[in-house]
This record gives sequence, structure tokens and C-alpha cells, in this order.
Amino acid sequence: MKSPVPIVDCHGHIGTHPDFPAYKICPQEMVQVMDLLDIESLAITSTLACYNDCPRGNQEIDEVLQKYPGRFRGYVTVNPNPPGEGLNQLERYAHFHRPPLIKLHPDLHKYPVNGPNYLPIWDYAHQTHAIVLVHTWDSDPNCGPLLLAPVARQFPAARILLGHSGVTWRGYEQSLEVARSCPNAFLDLSGSQSHRTILEHCVNRLGDERVLFGSDMPYLEAAMVLGRVLTARISDEGKAAILRHNFLRVLGEK
Amino acid sequence: MDANVHLGHSGIHGHLALETPALLEEMDRFGIAKALVSHFTAKEYDVAEGNAALPRDLDQRFVPAWSTSAEPWILKQLEHYKAKAVRLWFSPLRHNFSSASWSAGELYEYLQERAMLMTVSREELEWNTLAAILQDFPKLRVLLLNVGYRSDRYLLPLLERFPGLHFDSTTYVAHRQFESFVQTHGPERILFGSRLPLYTAGAAIAVLATARISDEARLAVAGGNLRRLLGEAS
Repeated sequence: MKSPVPIVDCHGHIGTHPDFPAYKICPQEMVQVMDLLDIESLAITSTLACYNDCPRGNQEIDEVLQKYPGRFRGYVTVNPNPPGEGLNQLERYAHFHRPPLIKLHPDLHKYPVNGPNYLPIWDYAHQTHAIVLVHTWDSDPNCGPLLLAPVARQFPAARILLGHSGVTWRGYEQSLEVARSCPNAFLDLSGSQSHRTILEHCVNRLGDERVLFGSDMPYLEAAMVLGRVLTARISDEGKAAILRHNFLRVLGEK
Repeated sequence: MDANVHLGHSGIHGHLALETPALLEEMDRFGIAKALVSHFTAKEYDVAEGNAALPRDLDQRFVPAWSTSAEPWILKQLEHYKAKAVRLWFSPLRHNFSSASWSAGELYEYLQERAMLMTVSREELEWNTLAAILQDFPKLRVLLLNVGYRSDRYLLPLLERFPGLHFDSTTYVAHRQFESFVQTHGPERILFGSRLPLYTAGAAIAVLATARISDEARLAVAGGNLRRLLGEAS
């Protein structure tokens, strides 16, 4: 099973995970899996940064981008604490990508995505037309999808990727509500729960232009999401858009 | 052959549950010939009601996993149904019985003696409880469903100690986790599961299809292991 078009993947990581053993997570092994599934490029964030240390984590990303040009795009992961550190990181690693790719993990950083410490980061994203991948989870007080609708309206030039689209069926419904009311919000398909008919539901409610392939590699299995897309009852054109063209358009490369 | 399928009407997942003809059609879409099935009515309501509903919704392509409680009358019902596999439910809010041997020991003894396959979802059974059951009944054939991708630090030591323990692939979906398990431990202990009709089978099939393992190993996971555990010819 291989993708019919080279995949441009909006959600990946570099690094180990603390709560279960990691398999085949070094960048070289990841590239082998990407070749197996025809993932042309993967946008990566540092797992170390998501959990604990943004400065060191973003440095890891810098090294991977230099070593594997063309296969990875780099998110700058920012933490709202301490205030000010996020903007420093964004400036230091501004060379990762233009427009900037920014990753927020309000769940692991234990801070609400609409809280005041995030405001300078959202303002930066608005000013630079950045693409902001936000980890979301159904109704979570720090990262529930519905928290992002007012943010998306206040900072309309920022493009917000709803990471995992809230994961659960209800989380998807919340993400759809945000995306339907905010044209700068996008759904990311990565996540461990493979709800039957959810992709068809999203395409029916939102269209296929703001649904993005995300794998969460090497945290989750990329083939799982590929299987969901390829076997969904949507058009072949819609599948190609989701697997490749939509994220390229967001990136300004199409 | 799919080890993880639910049948019948659901009061919780009404928009996803499928009546038998639609479920068979969905299985056909993915080339799933047979399935080990349990009934939503047993999960969401009552074991006996679920078992009464199963024959109504069964098809020859389904192997029933009859639901059980720890009450003595259930063993007679299992005899009546000529059960090859059972499904255990321990939800405190619904089925409300202890999985410990002092409560369900007679049931485990019965299943062990008959080499009957006991299926249970990991969400219903703590790891330490499972370990205690397997220590008391080391020849019990257990198929642990929905183990989750964070399970390996619990699952792998238990697999090492208890040869009767098996699990399904539905939620074993960390990056290259399935592939790595088969490469390291062999294919015998993991069974293909889709979690139809709640999940799409397309996800589990893609994980199986893209694993860099031998075709023999893939066939074992895809159905050979379950047939062996059910005492059917592979």
C-alpha cells in the first residue's frame, strides 16, 4: 500500500517519547518509512521541546533540517513559559521556514492556548502569516478545539492547524465547528483513533480543501492515517488534495 | 479473520453501529472473510440480553464471543451455546462484578479446562489484575483487545511470562510498533483486529499491509492465529 501521490505531511516529530518504548525513531529510519509510504516531506517538531526544553529541542530540529534537506520542514516549538522565551525562539530559528511554522502544545506545557502568555506568539503568527500547529484534544481546558475559534478570529492572518482535530468524534465535531466559522483553521488527520466515516463526515461538512494529512510520525503509525484516507468514500481528487495539495497550498508552494 | 468486531444496535454509538447486512458489506469492502463478534447489547446493557440478541444477528461468517458474568448459571449457558470463545465485561457501572479469582475463579477454571478463548478489552482490566488471573490460571487462553499503543512496558513482560496471552492489533499503532513486535517476537501472539464498526478497517489493514514482515507472518496475524486459537483448521 502506497500513496497515489507523494504525501506532504503536516505533523511529525523528532525524538523519543517518555511513556512507551520507541521504535525506529532516528531520522534515517524515519526516511526509510517515508519512502515506503511515499511521504515526500514531513513537517517536524521536537518532542523534547513539546515536553520540556524548547531551546534544546529546536536546536535538534535545526540539525535534522541541515542533514536531510528536502525531506523535513521544521516547526519552531514555543512554550508560553517563561513569557518572552517563545519570541526569542521564533527569532532565533526564523530560518527554519518562511512563512514560519510554529508548534504549540498547550496540554504538555500546561497553559491555555488562549491565555495571555500566548498573545505575543499569536501576534507574531498574525504579523508573519505563520502556520501554527496546535495540539488539540476534545474539550480540554488548555487545548480544546473550541478555544481556538476566538483566537482564529482575532489573528486572521495566522493559519491554525488543529492538531489531531480533537482526536475523539466529539473533538472532531468541535474542530469542524471552528473550521466552518474560521477560514484560517484547518483539520489535521493525525491521531490514534480511526473513527469510521469521520473523514467522509469532515469532507461533507467542510469540503476537502482544509483537511490535511498528518501522521504524527514517529509517535504514531503513518500507515494508519494513509489507510483511512485511501479507503474513505471520497473522490480521488479529494484524496490527492488531502494527501498533498492542501498543505502545499498553505505553505505557499502551490 | 478479524478478532475485534461488535455487532448489533448501540445505544451509545448509534450513528456508527451497523446491522448485520451492512456490517457484512463493510467487511467485504476490506476483504475480511470472518470475524469474532460480541454484541453491543451485552457491552452496554446486560450479558444475558446480549447473548439472547447474538443468535438473532449472527451470520455464518461470524464466530460468536458469548458474553459472561461470574454467576454460576452462565456456565450452563456457555454449554448450551457450545461456545468456542467468550467475552468478559467488568464495567463497574454496568456489569459490576470483580475480575479477581475469588469472584470469577470458577469461570476461569471452566475456560482453562476447555481451552476456550477468553476475550476482554484492556480498558476493562488493570494490568496487575490480568497478571494475577494468569498466575492463578496459567493455561488460560486470553485475547486482550484494544491494548493501546502505550502498552508495551506492561504487555511485553506479561507475554514473556504467560504463553496463553495474545492481543489484537487494532490500537497497537505507535510508529512501526506492530512491525517491530513481529520482527522481534514473531507473529504468533498478535491477531488482526479492526474494531469495526466503530473504527474503519482501512487503518488496521494498512498497518498490517505495510509492515516489513514475511508473508507467512502477515497471514498468521491476518487470521491463522485466531483460527488456531478457536481450534479451526488454518
